[in-house]
Amino acid sequence: MQIDLEGRVAIVTGAAGAIGRAISRRLADNGARVVIADIDFAGAEAFAATLPRAMACHIDIADEASVASGVAAILDHFGQIDILVNNAGINTHAHRVNIDVFPRAEWDRILRVDLDGTYLMSKAALAPMLARGAGGRIINIASVVGLAAMRLQSPFVAAKAGLIHLTRSMALELAPQGVLVNAIAPGSVLSEGTRALFYSEDGSFAGRTAEFMAQVPMGRPGTPEEIAEPVLFLASPAAAYVNGQTLTVDGGWTAGYPI
Amino acid sequence: MRIELDGKLVAMTGVVTRVTEALGEALSANGATVARDHTELPDILIVALPLIPDGGFDWSELHAQARETGLAMKARGSGRIVFLMSAMAAIPMRRHPDYSVEMAAVLAALRGLAMSLAPEVVVNGIGAGTIGDPACAGDTVMIGHTPIGRAGTIDDICNAALFLCDPLNSYLNGQLLPVDGGWSVGYGRSF
Repeated sequence: MQIDLEGRVAIVTGAAGAIGRAISRRLADNGARVVIADIDFAGAEAFAATLPRAMACHIDIADEASVASGVAAILDHFGQIDILVNNAGINTHAHRVNIDVFPRAEWDRILRVDLDGTYLMSKAALAPMLARGAGGRIINIASVVGLAAMRLQSPFVAAKAGLIHLTRSMALELAPQGVLVNAIAPGSVLSEGTRALFYSEDGSFAGRTAEFMAQVPMGRPGTPEEIAEPVLFLASPAAAYVNGQTLTVDGGWTAGYPI
Repeated sequence: MRIELDGKLVAMTGVVTRVTEALGEALSANGATVARDHTELPDILIVALPLIPDGGFDWSELHAQARETGLAMKARGSGRIVFLMSAMAAIPMRRHPDYSVEMAAVLAALRGLAMSLAPEVVVNGIGAGTIGDPACAGDTVMIGHTPIGRAGTIDDICNAALFLCDPLNSYLNGQLLPVDGGWSVGYGRSF
């Protein structure tokens, strides 16, 4: 779709990663000035250089001071914030184990980024958004595991379920002030992280991935661009009456049991 | 918003309302040929359910028709089906028990079609809240529980339906997209 986001400033967190890059590019393609926010500043700078009028910004969303200085720098540069895409998130790679032996430090690390980080970023971006009084949009990138649980990643599952319900409570609170809040729950998406875990270099199915993909009606993982398109819709004036929703973009994986 | 539907045939079936008339115009404006009585297999099928809850309705014939068209699309290798339905599919209203039941059935049918027709055919639906003044979808009492605090517009519904027809929106499948201002997400009333 093509929409008019001219005059809007959008922050995308985790924007140096595959999904974040695709989201940022679609927003920029449609006229938004985009902040490429990431803990990997070199990656953010390199990517921002490929977009018109984009700004790279170092933000560790789990660190309140880093969020505050990042948002201050964004306001200094662009003067306003209209759209926040809470895309940054992490999962456990090293500790694919059951809850009874799940390491405390890893639990804390994931919750701090995936849930606390979204709260900290939202709070910091909302202050100028609400003060300006021109409305706004927040789009949280959750996961299908927040709707249908999976094994061996309990903090990620809990954080994403929390994020989906946080989306609803934020939507109820902020709609009267003109800020709409929605979420996307992606299924399996081809990115650097999932490629290492589930797919071969060329994107073909590695290990037991074929078995898992048999559960997905579309029979393939999504692309980052296929996550970016629904984000663009939710960020646009076309979605003016969509609020508090979690749009599951998973190729039909959680629509039912495909057996 | 603009989507690329040049050369696409869209068939509309089910009820005719102010929403479906506006959607037909929006689809045409984006390049599609829109037909109500079609003989050719369409690229996109719009299945319009009654959006005003006045009693129940018989959804089974529309479901059978959608399945038949969907199977032909699958055999061809491509297609889309978009249901225009009510947000009451996701959460029933006490005052509209029969209608809520029928809408929930349509949602289950939609998901079943999405699973059985994939990967060639994508099936999704719009869940309308209270739309228009006078209302052409939903029930005006919903607005008291809608955080946005007003009815939606016919444009809001049409834009969401266009999004479901957007060729670039290609991994969303088996979903209901409520366009209800947040009515279905929680307890929106302030005390």
